[in-house]
Amino acid sequence: MIPVVDIASTALFVASGFYFLAGSVGLVRFPDVYTRLHALTKADNLGLGLLVTGLALRSGSWYTVAKLYAIWLLVLFASATSCYLVAHAARTGGIPVWRNERP
Amino acid sequence: MLEMMTLVLMGTIALAVYRIERGPTGADRMLSSMLFGTSGTALTLLLGEVSGLHRLHDMALVFALLAAVTAVAFVKRAWRAGD
Amino acid sequence: MMLAFDVLLAALLVWIALGSLSELKLFKSVVMFVVFGLFMALAWVRLGAPDVALAEAAIGAGVTGALMLDAVGHMRERQQPYPAATARQDASDA
Repeated sequence: MIPVVDIASTALFVASGFYFLAGSVGLVRFPDVYTRLHALTKADNLGLGLLVTGLALRSGSWYTVAKLYAIWLLVLFASATSCYLVAHAARTGGIPVWRNERP
Repeated sequence: MLEMMTLVLMGTIALAVYRIERGPTGADRMLSSMLFGTSGTALTLLLGEVSGLHRLHDMALVFALLAAVTAVAFVKRAWRAGD
Repeated sequence: MMLAFDVLLAALLVWIALGSLSELKLFKSVVMFVVFGLFMALAWVRLGAPDVALAEAAIGAGVTGALMLDAVGHMRERQQPYPAATARQDASDA
């Protein structure tokens, strides 16, 4: 493999691992449903996009590249839609919004 | 490098299982299930690259689809705020 | 390195199965079941059977999970006890 491509895909993998970990730590540490949604649907989709880009650099054919990006687009659309649905259901279902007590 | 990434993704999934155990409301548990959609897709793509099975891209598509189906079933059917 | 991945996968699989079976809240149990299906699909991938993994992800996690969520919603809608239970209660009252 060409070393430049190898280094670039490795850097993309490291960045995607960072974003995945950040999303999960946000899921564990944040105080209520809405902030957790915020951490999850942004950071994880960005991590998946970086990972897909790294895999696309390593793959040989244009067909595989197109398929990988199609998977990422599907995940983006599905995640945005279900994020809105869950947040709307939580809001109308009466889950309270977290407020910072300290000024 | 790819093997390291699979371990990192397993770590994120373990954190999400912890959130399912803790999660005070049902929406929190559903959130963790959505995280499984995203990280499961990433993990499947990585495993396909590690083992050289490019058929696994179809399984990644199924994972992405099923997270959405489960979320819609949750919102339309199973939702009550108290649980 | 993949050995560590396999050990982690198996340990999480057992944890999720125990959590799904020993849980009193139905909704949490169902979410655990869906997650168990996804993990089982990953385990089939590691065992070298991608077609079984595809079927497990589609049927075991997706369709069964959606049906079970629907069933939990139905069970919560009817808060009164089931007809058989009320009939038995009437009989014991009489």
